[in-house]
Order: sequence, then C-alpha cells, then structure tokens
Amino acid sequence: MRMSSNGYYVERYLKCANCGLLIHDAGLTVERGGKPLLFCSEWCIEWSALRDSGAENIRLPLPRA
Amino acid sequence: MDVVTMNILDSTLVSVCREMGISLMKTSYSTIFNEGLDFTCALADANGDMIAVAEFCPAQIGGMPLVIKTCVKEIPFDTIEEGDVILHNDPYRGGLHVPEHTFFKPIFLDGRLFAFAVCIGHVAEIGGMVPGGFAGEATEIFHEGLRVPPIKIKKRGKDVDEVWKLLLANVRTPRHNYGDLRAMIGAVDLGEQRVQEVIRKYGEAVFSQTCADLMDYSERRMRAEIAALPDGKYSFSDTVENDGIENKPYLLHVSMHVQGDEIVADFSGSARQARGPINATLGVTTGATYNGLLHMTDSTIPKNSGCFRPIKVVAPPGSVVNVDYPGPLVAGNTETHPRLAGIVIGALSQAAPLRAMAAESATGGNFVFGGHHPVQDEYYACYDLMSGGWGGRADADGNDTVICINGNCRFNPTEVFETRFPFRVEEFAMVADSAGPGKFRGGLGFQRVLAVVDADITVSQCTDRHHIHSWGLFGGGEGGNGATLVRRAGSEEWLTVQQAYNKVSSSKYSNIILHAGDRALVRVSGGGGYGDPGERDASRIAEDVREGFVTPEGARRDYGFEPTTP
Repeated sequence: MRMSSNGYYVERYLKCANCGLLIHDAGLTVERGGKPLLFCSEWCIEWSALRDSGAENIRLPLPRA
Repeated sequence: MDVVTMNILDSTLVSVCREMGISLMKTSYSTIFNEGLDFTCALADANGDMIAVAEFCPAQIGGMPLVIKTCVKEIPFDTIEEGDVILHNDPYRGGLHVPEHTFFKPIFLDGRLFAFAVCIGHVAEIGGMVPGGFAGEATEIFHEGLRVPPIKIKKRGKDVDEVWKLLLANVRTPRHNYGDLRAMIGAVDLGEQRVQEVIRKYGEAVFSQTCADLMDYSERRMRAEIAALPDGKYSFSDTVENDGIENKPYLLHVSMHVQGDEIVADFSGSARQARGPINATLGVTTGATYNGLLHMTDSTIPKNSGCFRPIKVVAPPGSVVNVDYPGPLVAGNTETHPRLAGIVIGALSQAAPLRAMAAESATGGNFVFGGHHPVQDEYYACYDLMSGGWGGRADADGNDTVICINGNCRFNPTEVFETRFPFRVEEFAMVADSAGPGKFRGGLGFQRVLAVVDADITVSQCTDRHHIHSWGLFGGGEGGNGATLVRRAGSEEWLTVQQAYNKVSSSKYSNIILHAGDRALVRVSGGGGYGDPGERDASRIAEDVREGFVTPEGARRDYGFEPTTP
C-alpha cells in the first residue's frame, strides 16, 4: 500500500497477485507472461506458478514464522 | 509451559471478552447492539495477535486478526500512548465492511505496552445512500457510508473533539451513534481495566509467556485436526444470485488443499468483481474460511491467532472474494461470507462427511429502514437481521429459524421492534415445507409481515436465495426460497419488489418507500437436507406434520409418507 508523502491518503492499494494480501513494503516482483506481477512472499510466487501450470494436487508447505 | 495456568488464564481472558460484550449490550442505544448482539470483543497481544475472543459474531472473530495486524502497521507502536483509543472501519485496510467499526485500546502497565482491548461492532447507521447501511444498489464504496482509516478518537484519555464532530456530522442518527460509539469505548475501557488486574495478579512475565504458549497450543490442536483429514484437493462451488445491478449469478469457488497438518483455501476460479455490493474483502474471505473450518474441527480449540497459523487463504485481487478499490462491498460480509463458509464446509464434506452440514439460508436478510418517527420526533434507522434455516447434519436436523452462520446474532423482539419503529408486526412464523428434505432435514425458513403504522418508511435490503436454493448433501434435498413482497394499502395483491418498484432485483435494492398502510412480507430460505429422504425415520416425519413444519402434501411429495388423521 503506497501512502502519500504526508501520509494523509492512499495513493495505491498494492496487493499480492496470488493471495490478495495488502503489501506494505516493496514486495517481490516477478515477470509472468511479459508483465510484472507483485507478490508478498516466495510461497505465493511458487503456489501461483504451480496452480497456473495446471498441477492437480499441489503440495507446498506454508512458511513457518 | 504450565498447562494449568494456561487454561485458567485462557478462561479468564475469554471471560473478560464476554464481560466487555455484555457491557456493550447493556449500554448501547441501537437495537442492533442491545438486541441483535452484532459485535465481538477480543484481546490482542502487543504484536497484534489475537489471544482471546468472546463467542459473539463469527464474521468478526475470523476477520479480526487481519484488522488488527493492518492497523498496527499504520499506527507505529512508538506513537501509541496510554489512554489512546484507535478507531477504524476501512474495508480497504483489512476491514470487513463500512458498518463494522473497530475500537482498539492499548493496555499499558507501568509504562509498558502488553496488549490491546478490541471491540468490533456493526454500527446501524453510517451515512451513505440509504438509511441503515445496506445499499443494495451501491456501485462504489462511497455509496456505502463514511470510511474511517485508523485514527485516534481519544488521545491520552481525552476525546479528540474534531474527530467526533466529523463522524457525527455524517450520519442520520447522531444521538444514537454517539451512544453506540461510547458504549464500544466503554467495552475497551473495561477490557483494559480487567487485563491490568490479570497482569498484576499473575505477573508480567507469566502473562506474556502464557499468552504465547496459549497460541502455540491452539496451533498444535488445529494442526492435529487438519492432520486427521485425508490429504487431497477438495473443491466446491455455490453462487450469489445477483448483485443488485445486473441480474446474473456470481460464482464462488474454493479448492481446499489438505497437505499434512496444513490447509490452503484457494478461491481462484471465483467470479470477477461485481458492480454491485456483494464483493468480499480479503478480511471477509479469510474470516469465512476460518468460520467454515471452525465448524468442521474440535469446538474446544481456544480461538486465537495460533489456531489460524496452519491455514492459508488465497483470494485473487479484483474478484468477488477480494474486491479492489473502490468497489462496493457491504453485502460481502453478510451474503458472500456465509456462502464462502458454506463452500468450505461443502468441500471438506468430501473428507469428513460426519462433521459437515448442508447449506443454510446464507443470508443476513438485512432489512434496513429509516425515516422520521412521528411520535419520537426524531430520525431513526434500523438494521434488522432476519433468520433462516441451517443445513441438516449427519446426526440431526438443521436448526430452525436462526441467524445465518456468520452472525450468531438475535432477533429484535416484537415488543421492542414495535416500540422503537413505526411498524406493526402482523405475522412472525416459520415457513412450512421450507426445509430441504433428507434423512435429517434442513432447518425451517422464516417469514414476517410488517405493516407501516404511520409516515413513510425508506427501506433497502441485501439478501439472497430468492431464486437459488440452499443445497443438500449426500442425497438431501434443497431448501425453500426466500422472498420480499409488498402489498399496497387497500390492495389484496402481493408484488415482488421488482414488480412494485421496477428494480433489477427483489433481493438487493435501495430506497423503496413504504407508505402508511402498506405491508412488507420478508421471507428467508430454509436449509438443505442431509442424506436420502427415504431413510428418514417415519416418526420424525409424523412429528413434523403434527407440528406443522411439513404439510401432508409435502410429506407425500418429499418422503412418500402418508400422514394418518389423529
């Protein structure tokens, strides 16, 4: 989420292209199909790639804190 | 970990949350709080993780962790002081929908921040294009009421007057809103006081360590529950019948990926964002997923952020399950949430059939209205929740006529309703034959007929299942549909809202006017059945016929049962 310089308003709502979580920091940008996509984590990059590749039974352990 | 202390502290903190809620119920002005109980109270640790919550409104329980986390990202800890109260209702910053106002109060002891007392409640009137908040024809967030980013409404114990004036200038019922917001602040004040007492009793180190242990314990319990499910991908779908703007259905789809002791709920494949207000925020979709899972797992797991750690929600942005700014969304929390919780249960019914239930009404009913009260000489607004049938289960019929799965709220009692608002209640009834047939039938739907006593009333509604039925499971049948009908004064003819007011939808509409003597009939659907109706115990069918829950014709049609004349 990108705020105005004085913090009074939101300039842009930035969300993870996979899970939809609001991204408050720089996030992770990956090029897919010729366009940049913003993700919140390596897990989301990998999950979306597996799902979009048509994998039927995806297994991808969640990152532990 | 001291298990005994942990259990005692867990019960104590949950009791604090319950006491906060009771305080809010007893001191608020609006019926949605003091009768409907449409609120939840919780405690969070200094990191913003939820450590305890009372069992009021499940939509808010599941949504709360994301609300808290998003707020603490915007208000740095080093700017939070003792006596501050933070207010927030912005759906685009972790919130659920604009009516849902969240108050946070930091809990300090000897200058150190230990926790937050949190109260989230559905404020009945919030400005916007309709009295009562549910604009069925909203096409952007600005139609739905005043949006409040995380701001301090009290600083170091003192009101921020400018914030109060701004808030109360933008609603139709400022006196009631003032009372309701004060009641919510009273709840977090009470939470602060009680938690300070707990920390003094147990000591700072024991309190902090036990809260961490408690969340780890809930995580282990939830992981054990998930691990008991067979690994695999389980998918399920349902639809919302329209969005109030376009008369077409919107698909909701989930694939539940059970992988060891973790679950990924992936909602990819759901419809693109709707133009009307049925869109869900990520907070709503996350809360609905938790809600569905909590129905399918051990109910004794302490509800805190720990039990949600093994669950990941994937909700694509720009879809009906994760609305992008500035899309409308007020009905996402009441119509789409229960539908999402339902498809989570439906998907997992393939892995754990004995724990599942068929579809419920899956609508808040959301009959909202307002106007100038001729006796009280004051503007009023009401958010009136309606009840429907829940789904049949593996060992029991569905609950009859209760608030849908995301609410856990209560009806307005008729006496209170008629005293507060210029309607007379002419009928208040469960609907015969509305329950989906099954070995265990669905719960009965409900209907109410309201007559306008005096003066015009402006009515809006966001509901669903007027055309799409609640589904059955394992051979169970569909539940009966809902309806909203209007009969003009002096007429005998009941018309749908579509017919009477030329609206796109009879289930989602804004600002129809009812005049003195007009009547509205609001019906909410019944639940789906579970199991083959042919396996239903004959004595149960006979009892349903005797009670008037199933007509003799319905018994013959759905069960092949011939009632005997007593």
